[in-house]
Amino acid sequence: MSLLKHAKEHLSNQSTFNFLNAFVSLADRTSLLARAQSADEAQLASPHGARHGLAGKLIGIKDNICTTDLPTTAASSMLKNFMSPYDATVVKQLRGAGAIVAGKTNMDEFGMGSHSTHSAFGSVQSSRRGGEILSAGGSSGGSAVAVASAQCWAALGTDTGGSVRLPAAYTGVVGYKPSYGLLSRWGVIAYANSLDTVGIMARHVDGVKSIFEKLNVYDPQDPTSLPPSTRSHLGSSKTTTLLKIGIPLEYNISSLHPTVRKAWIQSLRHLEECGHTLHPVNLPSTQHALSAYYVLAPAEASSNLAKYDGVRYGSRAEGIDGTPSSVLFAKTRGQFLGPEVRRRILLGAFSLSAQAIDNYFIQAQKVRRLVSNDFNQVFEAPNQLVAGPSTLNSDGVDVLLCPTAPTLPPSLAEIENQEPLDAYMNDVFTVPASLAGLPAISVPVPIAKEDRNPELLEQGIRETAGMQIIGQFGDDNLVLDVARQLAQAVDLGSVHDQSDSITTA
Amino acid sequence: MLAYHTRTALAAISRGPYICRSCLRRGKSLPLAVAHNPISIPNRTFQTDAEPPPNDNNDTTSFRKLLKDAAKKKRKAARDVPPSSKRAQKGKDPRLEKWELTVGIEVHAELNTARKLFSRAATSSSDTPNTHVALFDTAFPGSQPQFQRETLIPALRAALALNCDIQPKSSFDRKHYFYQDQPSGYQITQYYEPFARDGHVTLYPHDFPAGVSPEDGPVTIGIKQVQMEQDTAKTIHEPPSTHLLDFNRVSHPLIEIITLPQIHNPTTAAACVRKIQTILKTVNAVTTGMEMGGLRADVNVSVRERSAPSTEHGHSYSGVTGLGQRTEIKNLASIKAVEEAIVAERDRQIDLLESGGVVEGETRGWTLGNTTTKRLRGKEGEIDYRYMPDPDIAPVIVGKDVVAHLRNTLPMSSDDCVNMLVDGQDYRLTSKDASTLLILDDGDRLDYYFDVVESLKTIFSGNAEILPRVGKVAGNWVLMELGGLFRNEQWSESRVPSKQLASIIVHLLNKQITGRTAKLLLARKFEGDPSSVEQIIANEDLMLRPLSREEYMDLAQKLIEEKPDMVNDIVEKQQHQKVKWFVGRMMSKGAEGTVEPGTAEAVLRELLQLPPMEQK
Repeated sequence: MSLLKHAKEHLSNQSTFNFLNAFVSLADRTSLLARAQSADEAQLASPHGARHGLAGKLIGIKDNICTTDLPTTAASSMLKNFMSPYDATVVKQLRGAGAIVAGKTNMDEFGMGSHSTHSAFGSVQSSRRGGEILSAGGSSGGSAVAVASAQCWAALGTDTGGSVRLPAAYTGVVGYKPSYGLLSRWGVIAYANSLDTVGIMARHVDGVKSIFEKLNVYDPQDPTSLPPSTRSHLGSSKTTTLLKIGIPLEYNISSLHPTVRKAWIQSLRHLEECGHTLHPVNLPSTQHALSAYYVLAPAEASSNLAKYDGVRYGSRAEGIDGTPSSVLFAKTRGQFLGPEVRRRILLGAFSLSAQAIDNYFIQAQKVRRLVSNDFNQVFEAPNQLVAGPSTLNSDGVDVLLCPTAPTLPPSLAEIENQEPLDAYMNDVFTVPASLAGLPAISVPVPIAKEDRNPELLEQGIRETAGMQIIGQFGDDNLVLDVARQLAQAVDLGSVHDQSDSITTA
Repeated sequence: MLAYHTRTALAAISRGPYICRSCLRRGKSLPLAVAHNPISIPNRTFQTDAEPPPNDNNDTTSFRKLLKDAAKKKRKAARDVPPSSKRAQKGKDPRLEKWELTVGIEVHAELNTARKLFSRAATSSSDTPNTHVALFDTAFPGSQPQFQRETLIPALRAALALNCDIQPKSSFDRKHYFYQDQPSGYQITQYYEPFARDGHVTLYPHDFPAGVSPEDGPVTIGIKQVQMEQDTAKTIHEPPSTHLLDFNRVSHPLIEIITLPQIHNPTTAAACVRKIQTILKTVNAVTTGMEMGGLRADVNVSVRERSAPSTEHGHSYSGVTGLGQRTEIKNLASIKAVEEAIVAERDRQIDLLESGGVVEGETRGWTLGNTTTKRLRGKEGEIDYRYMPDPDIAPVIVGKDVVAHLRNTLPMSSDDCVNMLVDGQDYRLTSKDASTLLILDDGDRLDYYFDVVESLKTIFSGNAEILPRVGKVAGNWVLMELGGLFRNEQWSESRVPSKQLASIIVHLLNKQITGRTAKLLLARKFEGDPSSVEQIIANEDLMLRPLSREEYMDLAQKLIEEKPDMVNDIVEKQQHQKVKWFVGRMMSKGAEGTVEPGTAEAVLRELLQLPPMEQK
């Protein structure tokens, strides 16, 4: 099928699934189709006429990644009309590879949320189960739904504590968070810099991998981008034959939904059948990781979001703002930042305050180090960022396999009655890899036949749970390879429905 | 510190682009250390414009006006207040016998760098507003800091000159507060790990204005730390209610120098700030002096009863214990302001304590010309800066080799410079003249002096008689004669170019003109005579036309005969000094520039049969 035909299908889906609210803004249709057509012509002209790379492919960009041709709002009223004067490096790289920006995807405001409901543009909607609308997960819910409903070929998201993996798990697509420092953050609106990672979503691991290969380049404009000298030390030479797969026992929590647990066991069985061996491992600090994350991320957020004052760009409250004795933008910030963002700013401001920093921020940093040490102790490969002798830990495993989220997607109605803390619980399995900066990918795995919703089964819709593969820092290729193998194994295991069918209502 | 928003300036506003493309190209490549004449104090090497910044910009004018107004106000206050209530004008104040003052100082100085601290935008002081601003400088969403490592060089030079230990690892932190001149809502500074610690500055008698040193011998003041940080944007008030922001200054690299609370006298505090300023200028670390806004100071002031039992209830600051409750006075923009604010705050605290009150820990402000400090905010209004390590900026690692290289190429210190001016065979100045030269006009006067001496040395290089005297003579002319003319005017080295003054001195030392003619020539050049010294001498026939011995004899003989009683006084009563009277008469009787006093006296002594005069 030609690129133009694909592009037309995506555009058609954008109209059909407009109600899912996956996009905040869309690219101009005419110029988009023209570009797809010229990509077709270029490929015909090339000697092999082979289809490869990203040329002519439609890619959705999360709306907290700067683009010059479409507004960049981070789904906040504060930036409702903000046009960035520059493209983010990752956008520049995609355009350079011939990819077409399909539009900007909806999200939780500034990336803060687990269901993509905290948006100035309204909630993102995912598929329906019975009469209920399901959560798309967050914060990159728009990107996930756009990919799941084939409104674009792939999408970029950002992952701070699971914001790519969780929506991928909820919507049945592949969501990948690379090792921290591999993909440039220049032009990515910061939520919590020390955790923020650009992530990739696509329907297949190969799509994710082809984008990753284009973006995995040192960027001198991002001070946290790993320089070539460090990159050259990363990655083990392991291939996907005979790996040691770790099963982190701490992830088998009581609140883990039986359906998800079953899918986890099924996935492990598949990998064992591929010839790999299974090894239970302990990550004792996991139980503190979520609390540490919800201290650290809001602390950085309270700092990063201090710049939004409406003075140089962005929204500004009508009339006079502030009193002679206060700053000039108290009203502006109160009016244009949403409730969840305000909550996290206050939380962060508190945990950094003189009275609380020792008990909260400093403690959380210590926990972060412990979480990282836990991972280093269970992996065979050494962490190249940690000083000291980099010797193999022969008792260690190559990758870990665990669920991405403890439950299947909740309905939006359920979420409405939740306390903010309940929403935070969704991140319990994704946060540890974020704290340690490790590569992690969520792969959709079909749930057991007996657990499926009969109504959806009848419609031929494949219900999945997200399984997460976590690797040592820099072992991104190994993680991607295991993900591909798992995806293939579970596809062979389920004789139902072809993977090309659209999984959304 | 908190927003230098009190500084105002009138500046033309233009709608320049936020991002200056040329900034990316303009910065010059910076050598690790600029080769220096060890004693010269060069102008700003990194100035990116061809033209030097104008001296008479609005900042200075308004500051000088401020000083004038302050002086006026003070004179008026002095007239209004009955003499009995004037305290401690002369002699010892019994209250100061009882109470001891303690002061610590924080000095902020703009570093002399080509680029900003975290972007490649050029630094500038007087360019069109908002023309040197990168995305990060205005906190655009998605932008990130790029630490410009070259900015470390002047900072390290400064810290080395202040005898600090350079830290092998330092890091940057965010200090949060909201103000419109702070685009990101925080200032990036070095709170947890500054790049330099444990230095000191020593004040010698020559560091104090003549004769006012309150200290016995040298006094050493510890420097707790030196840290790098960002400057804020410049706020320009347009009355009644418009505030314009110029982001050219935002993120200009600053260093903050924090002294220990080891100063017990307002004059010493002022001398300490002046000394730090001199040191920073000497090593070419800073852009401008205090009066140009390149240097600002905050002071911490406390008093304690000398006889009170120590420690117990005292406060402790920077490891110094047993101190009284301190207050902070922010944003002092001149050395004079430092001294006056400390005096005012000391007296306020003593008044308060003696009347049974308690000093509150608070932040206070002080305006030039006022007699009291003003409360800005109390402890309850104190900002919690929520210091957080900046997650985007890697720690700064400084190699030992860099430190060693910078240490070895450090220009001569001001103390060594004074020693050289006093003991060096080229100069032989008095210690007082040497330190005066060093202090005046941010070191410009010293540069000028060196230029004059250099010219004279070249001209008299073979003259063993005159050569040893040129340094001292030049010093007299630069400080006394020229200094007198500049008494009420702003110093400018181009008013009387150094070559022209050297020419005057050459003619004088060669006995081609009289001292009176020399002073006349200097005044003519000062008033703007465009002709060269040589031309004026030639055109107006000022060259000493030596009289013949016979002519001297005749003139002297004639005058002696007119005043026999005076001759009697000299010869009979041995009042030899009265010879000078005849010398004066000869000079006034002779045509302008013809009678040379030395020769005249010799002839007179010969005629009066007195012993020859002593050699000078």
